[in-house]
Amino acid sequence: MTEPQHNSLDLGAVRRRLARQSGPTYWRSLEELAQTPAFLDVLKGEFPAFAAAAATALDRRRLLQLMAASMALGGLTGCQKEVDPRKLSPYVEQPPGIVPGRARYYATATSLDGFGYGVLLRHEMGRPLKVEGNPDHPASLGGTSAIGQASILGLYDPYRAQSLTQNGQLAGGEDLRTMLVESGSALAARRGDGLRLLTGALTSPSLAGQIGSLQKAFPQLRWHQWEALNRDTERDGARLAFGRAVDIVCDFTRAEVVLGIESDALATAPGHLRYARDFATRRRADEAKAGMSRVYAIESTPTLLGAKADHRVIMTPVEIRAALRFIAGALHAGPPDWAKAQVPRADHLASLVADLATHRGRALLHAGREQPAEVHALCHAINHALGAFGQTLRAIEPVAAMPTGNAASLAALVADMQAGKVDTLLILGVNAAYTAPAELDWAGALQQVPQSIYLGEYADETAAQCRWHIPASHEYERWSDIRAHDATVTIQQPQVRPLYGGRSAHEILAMLLGTTQPDDYALLRSRWQGVSGAANFERFWIDSLRSGVVANSAAPSIAVAPRADYADAFPPLATGSSALTLLFRPDIGLWDGRYAENGWLQEMARPFTRLTWDNAAAIAPATAARLGLAQSDMARLTVEGRQLQAPVWILPGQAENCVTLHLGYGRRRAGPVGTDIGANAYALRSAGAPWSAGGLTLAKTGTGYAFASEQHDALIEGDDLVREATLAAYLHDPQSLKRKQDDASLYPGYAYDGIAWAMSINLNSCIGCQACVVACQAENNIPVVGKKEVGRGRVMHWLRIDRYYKGDIDAPGIVFQPVPCMQCENAPCEVVCPVQATVHDAEGLNVMVYNRCVGTRFCSNNCPYKVRRFNFFDYTGDDARPRESWNPDVTVRARGVMEKCTYCVQRTRKAMIEADKENRGVADGEVQTACQQACPTQAITFGNKSDPQSAVARRKASVLDYSLLDELNTRPRTTYAMAIRNPNPKIETS
Amino acid sequence: MVATTETALSEPVIGAEQDYTSVSEHLSDLVLVQPTPLWWYAGMAGATALFLWLIVAAGYLFYYGVGVWGVNIPVAWGWALANYVWWIGIASGGTFISSLFYIVGADWRNGVNRFAESLTLFAAAAAGLMPIFHLGRQGLFYWLFPYPNVMHIWPQFRSPLLWDFFALLAYILTSIVFWYIGLIPDCATLRDRATTRGAQIFYGILALGWRGSARHWRNYKVVYLVLAGFMAPMVVSVHSIVGLDFAAGLAAGWHSTQWPPYFFIGALYSGWASTLVLMIPIRRLYRLERIVTERHIEVISKLMLATGLLLTYCYALEAFQPYYKGDAAEIGAFRFSLVGPQGSAYWIKTACNVLLPQLLWFPAVRRHKPILFLLALGIVIGMWFERFSFVVASLAHDYIPSEFFTFHATIWDEGILYGSIGLVLAGFFLFIRFLPVVSIFELREVIRHKERR
Repeated sequence: MTEPQHNSLDLGAVRRRLARQSGPTYWRSLEELAQTPAFLDVLKGEFPAFAAAAATALDRRRLLQLMAASMALGGLTGCQKEVDPRKLSPYVEQPPGIVPGRARYYATATSLDGFGYGVLLRHEMGRPLKVEGNPDHPASLGGTSAIGQASILGLYDPYRAQSLTQNGQLAGGEDLRTMLVESGSALAARRGDGLRLLTGALTSPSLAGQIGSLQKAFPQLRWHQWEALNRDTERDGARLAFGRAVDIVCDFTRAEVVLGIESDALATAPGHLRYARDFATRRRADEAKAGMSRVYAIESTPTLLGAKADHRVIMTPVEIRAALRFIAGALHAGPPDWAKAQVPRADHLASLVADLATHRGRALLHAGREQPAEVHALCHAINHALGAFGQTLRAIEPVAAMPTGNAASLAALVADMQAGKVDTLLILGVNAAYTAPAELDWAGALQQVPQSIYLGEYADETAAQCRWHIPASHEYERWSDIRAHDATVTIQQPQVRPLYGGRSAHEILAMLLGTTQPDDYALLRSRWQGVSGAANFERFWIDSLRSGVVANSAAPSIAVAPRADYADAFPPLATGSSALTLLFRPDIGLWDGRYAENGWLQEMARPFTRLTWDNAAAIAPATAARLGLAQSDMARLTVEGRQLQAPVWILPGQAENCVTLHLGYGRRRAGPVGTDIGANAYALRSAGAPWSAGGLTLAKTGTGYAFASEQHDALIEGDDLVREATLAAYLHDPQSLKRKQDDASLYPGYAYDGIAWAMSINLNSCIGCQACVVACQAENNIPVVGKKEVGRGRVMHWLRIDRYYKGDIDAPGIVFQPVPCMQCENAPCEVVCPVQATVHDAEGLNVMVYNRCVGTRFCSNNCPYKVRRFNFFDYTGDDARPRESWNPDVTVRARGVMEKCTYCVQRTRKAMIEADKENRGVADGEVQTACQQACPTQAITFGNKSDPQSAVARRKASVLDYSLLDELNTRPRTTYAMAIRNPNPKIETS
Repeated sequence: MVATTETALSEPVIGAEQDYTSVSEHLSDLVLVQPTPLWWYAGMAGATALFLWLIVAAGYLFYYGVGVWGVNIPVAWGWALANYVWWIGIASGGTFISSLFYIVGADWRNGVNRFAESLTLFAAAAAGLMPIFHLGRQGLFYWLFPYPNVMHIWPQFRSPLLWDFFALLAYILTSIVFWYIGLIPDCATLRDRATTRGAQIFYGILALGWRGSARHWRNYKVVYLVLAGFMAPMVVSVHSIVGLDFAAGLAAGWHSTQWPPYFFIGALYSGWASTLVLMIPIRRLYRLERIVTERHIEVISKLMLATGLLLTYCYALEAFQPYYKGDAAEIGAFRFSLVGPQGSAYWIKTACNVLLPQLLWFPAVRRHKPILFLLALGIVIGMWFERFSFVVASLAHDYIPSEFFTFHATIWDEGILYGSIGLVLAGFFLFIRFLPVVSIFELREVIRHKERR
């Protein structure tokens, strides 16, 4: 910039200019006054816009006029050219059927593993807000899983993909349609040569039908399947045993002796909710009509079934195979010389065999998906030998469409991709870039594919690698259908229009088939019109939608018999070595990693480790001692040259020399919640050893790691928080189990002239699945606080499931204890609050008045159960959930206030208001708390204690009823039913 | 320093050569005439810097919430409560000296009461801040006050926190009044001796028109005696109620009747120690050896030793009771306080509060000011660890093992503690600069008594 020329000032001119001015004139410098060119240059350089504005000779009036006009016309941008002919109607008159504050429920199904179970979604003012199990659905019976409960958060997740992209750039819906329809016609011309379809496990009859049409239109199409947590071993086991693939449907209500071989029957197996319910009905000593079952478990790493077992035998994978051969041999289900082989824990197994043999037709073996095909084949053979088929379980045709071998299918696809045989790859919701076996060069292979189209809910690892990413709709946003474990079909009806413009697989396939305006609804209806065979299709349709179940769609049993030579192909048993084995296991929250973006599931404590926001290399205490590893040490895991760093967690009840690593963590592109959480076990997982990899080395890196566990001390100290007894003792003298409670007091108690809400939790039934915890979070607007805050002891869950070990640290008994607020009669919290923010109400609840709370936190200090939670920060405000997804019946809590379980007071009040309106009392069972409703095993009973006929009063009258810390005389409203174990008297319990 | 083989208790309360004039001149000149000493500027700068830290820490706290501290569930009370109990304990020394020893007519108190009371005032102010800082919603602290309101809610009178609120409020208010009333005749002296107009007006206003008439003196004596009679039980009650904050709670280890006396004894102990910590350097720096004599130091040291022995008994009882009761949770909490992550706090408190004061049995230690200073400082620190250990251990290790957790302080916890020290020191520095550090007229009384004898 040039220096202004000071000497060029013509003062005379300046004076003349000033003389011409009228009114007050302000000037900043002589240069300005003189309007010298040098000054104008400076001005122009400094404020370029000003020069242009100054050139337009705008006076003040004109400026104000223009400003006013801009303001007035600004709103016009919101106007549309043509008037929308569709009329909106104001909400002055209530639309029929919609009452503000009254919930409506719509049935649909939620899926895991391709299998669905029926759910009812609660809608408030048109918004789906809460998932409940569908009591009419055979795979749910009203129960839900943690993942199912959390699915509603997935629906509202603002980080779900919202935009269609082509090569990373935004693309329009028209582009997609053109691309798909054009590719479709081009492919049709060459009979689909080069077109590949990759899906996960799917049971949807209509989607399978659509793929069938696709295969007809493109005969060269090849359909591949990759489900990371596939059930290939089960299928292969059935092939070994019966020569054909079958699915097994168990009936735990008829099983008197259950043997779980690292069974996932209560946790993740298709139908697990139903199994859990049936299992629990046979485990309630005081209620089971047909007698209590006896449960054995043989496993390498703790499972939910194992924790409930009366005898839990810890074995390495090799020992499990040997043990099963022993059992098969002893029960004449295999070569008799198997029974003579050396097996570990032989005496234990002999007693087990005797027990099984005496319960022919009433025994049941179930093996988890992680067990090798051989174990499944042995299970089938033993079950058959025990006469279980037709009694405690039945075989049905495989439910999943195209039950292929997943690993082989994906390997074939990758090989073809690398060979350049694939020009169009359509991926329907399979995040293969994350889950593919480590030895496959998926990313490299995908580069060879000119046209890769990915339909996925998130902009994840696979979306980043594909040419096209189509945001998928959530399963609550689309029309579809799905089968349950017993093939029962649910028509999935959308609960809401796609929030983020997602598309369904049906749409994509239809477009590929040339339909420019696909209509899932019409497609689904026309399909079911064809297959339902109903005389009155409308009736059938409405009934199916309303009940959430297509009547009589369960698969019939088929007869199977084991092949005589099923054991011939068994690989020989390796001799025992002290080499480490790595066990890959599904995560009960993140599953294969697809729920990594779900904060509720990330923050849910895992049943055994009680870890949140992390997975860990879980090892047995003895192995840790041998390897010199301590809790939270960072370790380097090496398998076949592949390396991974993961922190060590010492897990009592784990088999020696076995390291369990849960899958689903270590996502690279999950979203802001789930990215880089935990260690990615897929980095070590190969197609050949999907569940257990030998030859593991575990080396200390020397660094430590900070876990965020919800529980820090596991061994029971002091008093008996969890009371247990044996069935024999219970049957011998039930009264001996009753603990006398002395509740003498100088002060009069509260008088209740109406309802006295109370809860009873049956420790026999609780399987530790965490569904109640997530249900509580969903119902009560409990915020997610994140790993750092959990690590600082500030988790907000109102309900937690404590896990305790007892006995031998290497083979401990494991017990779960759900702990909500005890709603004490003599509540220690109430007396210490200086501002009366927590008070006793007329129904005996300790209500928390958030508005009144000033946050002294004395109530929490004084709560011996430590069930109160404090908003140390503005957790609710910091939660990324959209506002419309919060439950409108429950206040959200501000920073600095205490909160806790209210027995779902919003539900009890609603029921009481309804009852009042109808001038009646609240019926027993009319109100269910969120935890109670979610519980697959009905461990929680809730109701009016004052009514002696109520279920809760009856449970409290049981001799098994006890209250936690009764010596403190808090007189809790929440009590527990003692756990009863049914050990085999022939087996010495350690 | 006077070298003598006699015990210091036989020493005079005031130097033999002191008369009315010398006392008045010496003490008022410190305020009115002498230039502000360099050490005062240095000290005041340090204290103000610490105080600024408090402002920053409190601002951060108000903006982000108590989550910035290390508190959690189960340890919902952390440093703020430990600080509170610590400061209120430190405050007790002054009240005890000026009220109780006034009532029993111990004339040695006149040399140190002003001093100790001023410490009370600022320590009580720091203590009063802590429970407010500690609230989840600090702005609503006044809801503890039973005022008529549109919510039609009274506070909950069963809560020990409410008793504590009343006790603390009453204690702070009466402490201010007691301290100020004791200042009035001295302010009049300063007013009369002031050489500048500003000082005359300043002290004139503070003197409330005191002319030293017989009626003034009579009224003064009555009011002061009544207040002293009021304060003496109040200092007992305020610490007992602090003890009740815990004793009325249910947490394992808190639920015990021994805490009211325990807290009272602990409070006195830290009161003596903190009085010594401030008195020893000021006495030296202001050349007050002839006014605050060996006798004063001796008395306080011995009181400190006696209180320390009482506290040792309390500690023994604290260890004995869980085992005597046999309550597993209580035993667990006690063992946790010994060997848990905060175990060092227990051993520091034992070393500082039990072992260290045993040195006071030796007259040489009591005479040796630097050692005595360090010893008293050790006790003040030890008392903080006692409070911390007490608050945290029982919460961290309560009844339900699944909820056992621990506590880790953050820099914002530290900011509040160190900042509050700054607040007290800054107040104290202002006091020693602008008001007579020793009560002038009460010293005159001592001289008068001496002359009469």
